[in-house]
Amino acid sequence: MNRAVVAAATAVLLSAAAARADNVASFTADTQQSKLEFTGVQAGAEFKGVFHKFTAGVDFAPDALAASRIDVQIDMNSVDSMDKDRDTTIRGKDIFDVAHMPAAHYVTKTISKTAAGFSAVGALTLHGVTKDVPIDFQFTQAPGGAKLTGTAKLNRLDFGVGQGDWKSTEWVGDAVKISFSLVLKPKG
Amino acid sequence: MPISGSPSRYSAVAQSFHWIIAGLIVTQFTLAWMADDLPVGMHKLALLARHKSFGMTVLMLAVLRLLWRLFNRPPELPAGMSKAERNLARGAHAAFYFLLFAMPLTGWLMSSAKNYSVSWFGLFTWPNLIGPNERWFDVLRTTHETLSWLLFSLAILHILAALKHHFWDKDDVLKRMLPFTKPEKRT
Repeated sequence: MNRAVVAAATAVLLSAAAARADNVASFTADTQQSKLEFTGVQAGAEFKGVFHKFTAGVDFAPDALAASRIDVQIDMNSVDSMDKDRDTTIRGKDIFDVAHMPAAHYVTKTISKTAAGFSAVGALTLHGVTKDVPIDFQFTQAPGGAKLTGTAKLNRLDFGVGQGDWKSTEWVGDAVKISFSLVLKPKG
Repeated sequence: MPISGSPSRYSAVAQSFHWIIAGLIVTQFTLAWMADDLPVGMHKLALLARHKSFGMTVLMLAVLRLLWRLFNRPPELPAGMSKAERNLARGAHAAFYFLLFAMPLTGWLMSSAKNYSVSWFGLFTWPNLIGPNERWFDVLRTTHETLSWLLFSLAILHILAALKHHFWDKDDVLKRMLPFTKPEKRT
């Protein structure tokens, strides 16, 4: 094999790699339009809450999942379950303990294609505990950006969310459902 | 015990409604007073969850009881009662029926306004009647509490009246609502 061929082959490979990296578009979530919601069970009835403050960075291309990534940072103090008493309790030391652990972080490790869309496994750091949490999501191109919607399930006690009385699951369920809808704008 | 209303006694069905609901109301006051003294926490949540389940039970029984009452006449009031006494008795009974609906309904509305949906013993969840709203919650809470004092006062009046009929007037007004007593004509 002569030098010219090697050089040509290298150039082709490099440009392919460059093209592949270019395919992976980088976005940030428009938090005004995006929503991060959770559903818990309290005394046998579901209740919903949201986090008003979070940031999300998304690098995504459906054909380059290995290079794709979702990274979300959540301000735990911004929790809102539409009741001040409950929010105060949730922020307190026995539940979120926002005084010591004000943020939660989720970053994907692997993303794969599924029949319905995509699924990912990522590391969730919540209440100072890091554990893998799978998510299912859909990614759709939209004018001026993209939309990422999905769901996840986790058990609050895996993360020590609920100390003292709140360790019991008799009145507050262990399972918590998460749903998110991120309106993505190209990273400027 | 006769199933259908007889002129002299309340039927077994009417007696069952009366005593089961009376027992539930005593339970409701007990749970509410216990919960009132507690700070926000697991124990309060548990007591109020029971309070809501029993309250919705009262509401369901109140619907059945009202239907029963509409199709089954209660025994006549004793002949010796004056017109004023009759009106007072009828007014008090009507107020009880009103409260049997108003108490659970204001409670249900309160829970809805505070975004704490009402579960029935964890078996199913009642829909929220209104959306989360702090101002409405405060208004509804005051209403629920005021009505509870009205109910409490009315219950005291009701008990005193029953005892007055039994021991003072010596009629059968108390006995005809008591199970396991023989019908007798004391008037």
